Amino acid sequence: MLREIKVYRDLMGANDEWAGRTRELLAAKGVALFNLIGSPGAGKTALLEALGARWRPKPAWAVLEGDVETTRDAERLQRLDIPVSQLLTGGACHLEAKLVHHALKDLDLDALELVFVENVGNLVCPAEFDIGERAKIAVLSVTEGEDKALKYPLLFREAQAAVLTKTDLLPHLNYRLESCLEALAQVNAQLPVFQVSAATGSGLEPLTGWIADRLRETKAPSSAQARDR
Amino acid sequence: MHEFSLCQELTQALLQEMARLQPPPSRLLSARVVVGALRQIVPETLIFAYETLTKNTPASGSRLEIRPAPLRLACRACGRQQEIAHWVPACPACGSPDLDLQGGMELYLDHLEVEVDDAPGN
Repeated sequence: MLREIKVYRDLMGANDEWAGRTRELLAAKGVALFNLIGSPGAGKTALLEALGARWRPKPAWAVLEGDVETTRDAERLQRLDIPVSQLLTGGACHLEAKLVHHALKDLDLDALELVFVENVGNLVCPAEFDIGERAKIAVLSVTEGEDKALKYPLLFREAQAAVLTKTDLLPHLNYRLESCLEALAQVNAQLPVFQVSAATGSGLEPLTGWIADRLRETKAPSSAQARDR
Repeated sequence: MHEFSLCQELTQALLQEMARLQPPPSRLLSARVVVGALRQIVPETLIFAYETLTKNTPASGSRLEIRPAPLRLACRACGRQQEIAHWVPACPACGSPDLDLQGGMELYLDHLEVEVDDAPGN
């Protein structure tokens, strides 16, 4: 006998539950979580290194490094005395909320204001998974081509800020900055774009200002944050 | 490659749903998932993951049906509602970027088709 059963079960449910737990945990501790997403080689670790070296006064922060293999990125940040934990996915192309939640619980959250998660280098999969972040930040370099926002719209739609890295290379590239900015605006007209160079430190201040505004909202939850969610 | 992660969730969900059914089904014939147009899921990869992950489970040999859900936009400026195939930055009717995404991010197990052994005496 054949039976048809109507189910309706959200397949992101389990991940979203962990993400919800993370949001509760971080709200209680007044800590803001930022999820950095970009291609391999976009300059995510270099951006964190530059922030570590140049951000003054720097909030109390830690980094969770997501990679498929090796602890190389974590070692780079440790050299700068940035507190860092390495999360290895062993093949998976993105971080999931449960792994991030457990890693956060191993940090001394009472002593922190801010945690960056450097997601696995990938413009596709990490955008699908909520990890309980305050904001996704898309990291895109000027060596990747101007049309990435159009090709990977989900990330740029979901992100609350974009960082355009390696801008010190612009004089050496046949790169149409305007086309990149147009593509970003087409996908997400509200997206603030920060043009930075980790090598020279240029453009970091507006970015740290934007992050500091988000930290203030986290410490004193406002209607702005409620609206974003 | 996140299709494998999603498929783990999917197989777990459908095995739980099967275990809840009374009378218990003898086998699963098909499962249907609804996938929104903005979900970056490759159907072939999801089906490959499904075949791999259901092996040696009560769902083994069943068919996965992937039903696409269109991108549905409502324009807050002109009120026009429409279904489209690809993301657009502005309302095709009035050009406003103030769009409300009403569909396209769906991802759920929708429907199961199971076989139930006829009880003796039926």
